Amino acid sequence: MISVENVPWCEKYRAGCFADVKGQELAIDKVKTFLKSFPKKKAVVLHGTPGTGKTSLAYAIAFEMDAEILELNASDLRNKAKISEIIGPASQQRSLFKKNKIILIDEVDGVSATKDRGGLGELLGLIEKSAFPIVVTANDIWQRKFNLLRRKTELVQLKEVDYRIVLDVLKGVCEKENCVVSSEVLTSIAIKARGDIRAALNDLQLLSKMESPELVKEVGERNREQSIFTALQFVFKNARIDSEMIRVYDEVNMPIDDIFLWIEENIPLEYKGAELAKAYDALSLADVFRGRIRRQRHWRFMVYEYFLLGAGIAASKKYNRTGWTGYKKPSRILKIWLQNQRAAKKKTICQKYAKHCHISTKTAMKDFMLLKQILVGSEIRTELKLSNDEIAYLDKPLTA
Amino acid sequence: MSDQFNSEVWTEKYRPKKFEDMVGQEEILKRVKSLTNSMNIPHLLFAGPAGTGKSTLALIVVKQLFGESWRDNYLELNASDERGIDVVRQKVKDFARTKAIGNVPFKVIFLDEADALTREAQQALRRTMENYTSTCRFVMSCNYSSKILDPIQSRCVVFRFQLLEKKDIKKRIDLIAETEGLSITAEAFDALYEASEGDCRRVINLLQATSSISPNITPDLINTIVSKAKPSDIKVVLDYALSGDFQNSREKLLDIMLKESISGQDVIKAIQKEVWNLPIDNSLKVALTEKTGEAEFRLVEGSDEFIQLEALIASFVLAGENQVREGAGVVGGV
Repeated sequence: MISVENVPWCEKYRAGCFADVKGQELAIDKVKTFLKSFPKKKAVVLHGTPGTGKTSLAYAIAFEMDAEILELNASDLRNKAKISEIIGPASQQRSLFKKNKIILIDEVDGVSATKDRGGLGELLGLIEKSAFPIVVTANDIWQRKFNLLRRKTELVQLKEVDYRIVLDVLKGVCEKENCVVSSEVLTSIAIKARGDIRAALNDLQLLSKMESPELVKEVGERNREQSIFTALQFVFKNARIDSEMIRVYDEVNMPIDDIFLWIEENIPLEYKGAELAKAYDALSLADVFRGRIRRQRHWRFMVYEYFLLGAGIAASKKYNRTGWTGYKKPSRILKIWLQNQRAAKKKTICQKYAKHCHISTKTAMKDFMLLKQILVGSEIRTELKLSNDEIAYLDKPLTA
Repeated sequence: MSDQFNSEVWTEKYRPKKFEDMVGQEEILKRVKSLTNSMNIPHLLFAGPAGTGKSTLALIVVKQLFGESWRDNYLELNASDERGIDVVRQKVKDFARTKAIGNVPFKVIFLDEADALTREAQQALRRTMENYTSTCRFVMSCNYSSKILDPIQSRCVVFRFQLLEKKDIKKRIDLIAETEGLSITAEAFDALYEASEGDCRRVINLLQATSSISPNITPDLINTIVSKAKPSDIKVVLDYALSGDFQNSREKLLDIMLKESISGQDVIKAIQKEVWNLPIDNSLKVALTEKTGEAEFRLVEGSDEFIQLEALIASFVLAGENQVREGAGVVGGV
């Protein structure tokens, strides 16, 4: 039994119409174009990382088209017979109550090419035959098994949602739920979610049930921290490279980018002099492989990436060391974020100036100290349409 | 001035409005002018250093082509500000969808700093150029044409802009001084030119900033402005590192990068220039310069600039410690 209390917020506040799907304007535009041109292409694939709003967008499409939605999960795609039975006829018939119909195939990643033999094939056939738009969602559409699917469908990518948009969503929900959470805490949830609105809402809901809201920082991070602490200790304290060292990050439940940040933050707490240089050298080489993976999509480089982060860092020293080191949380991302908050005005000033003077915002940002000397008269400020806040920022003396 | 809009920002107020107003780049001007007069331009690629007139020439071309209605037929995009090729493509698409207004059968898209686009983005751009070639002309600008894919270069007529000569910049400065009622000594002009490295926009910006203090421009005044506008010294970072203080060095580095909004590439460039002035042995200078080069290479290949810079300062820390040890070991050591 699910009482109203227990409905997950990510379901309760699922977007209803296009305007509710936050931070995906580009994707929505593409979907609109797809719908207009239907049936030139019969199906659209919404793909993107978890929590970016794929399913929400699918429901929003149904809402905007005043259509009934017919949903299939990966588990329903077991065999040909079942698919034909469920959507074969449905796709040819019109609904009794609503004019339109949309077929939603959620999380198509789950379809294993071998286990659901024919599942994908049937889906392709269905796309050919269907009289209604088909919406498919997927996390990773670039897998080889989707080669054919990609060719027959319109691809629409949903980008990771900016933390500021996540923050707005959280604030809206807080208001509706009458729960008071400081904006600082909300911001940290939004940043931690890394573009995953569902995760952010889950965290917020969990938090709202807890006694003291200060605990928010611990939500979900507690386990991760324990595992990264153990791994760091192992790498930093041991000099022996064995199979355990090679697999040291296997148990760490954390994206590799975060592992980089943890190592980066804590190397100087453990190493000095030559060891420090060696350790950073290993980290820097690991980062080079990370860059190559990103650019060339050659995933096997991950072997070297993990090796350098583990064995590479460990080998910076000759002997095992003892003692306990209190490792710190990575602080760089937070510092960058704080600085961006502080420099928000600077950025908007530079944007206005850049547009006015045919240069890039980046160039204007670089020249900002000089611009400050130029943007002094009131005429010039009116010409650039600077706001009062921006003018105050320009007039504020520099703090060291 | 007789222009329709009279800006208070001098770089705009004194931006040349006609081919005849531009200084330097004579050959380029001649050819671009004749292309423009034929009322049918090919795709153009302007390559050259900052402040040599690339954007200005692009603006003059569209104003000549379209006259009064140039704003309706012209789209300016800055590749280093647009968030990705998708955005660029969408904007181009929206702009190219409607027909050009007036007699000219195409519109013009100016893509500034095109070398900021990745290879993949440039590939995508190449398709876009082809798709809209009947309704649009692209004018692109970049600092280094080598960073533009060959297939794109081959679709464009390429013009290489030279750094402006001192006498050319002087012409513009004299015009500004006369109009604004400034007095500039010869030494002051030399100081202006020195500080700008031939970048005409920077010269004018410096001049305007200086004139906000006094209309009598002197070398001292210019130097005050220049040192005020100079980004914080990267030397502090290296000083901390050589004295063995890694934590402060990296703290300072992050601080400078964030506050001055400078990239890792800029930092590497500054470090490379600074190494030779450090109070260390020549052999160490060579070794550290090599390290700096390696760091720049890794920075290009890698994904997190800051990690690469940290690795570099860690080797500066090590070099500093070794230097101290050697100095103490040898009696009366150099």
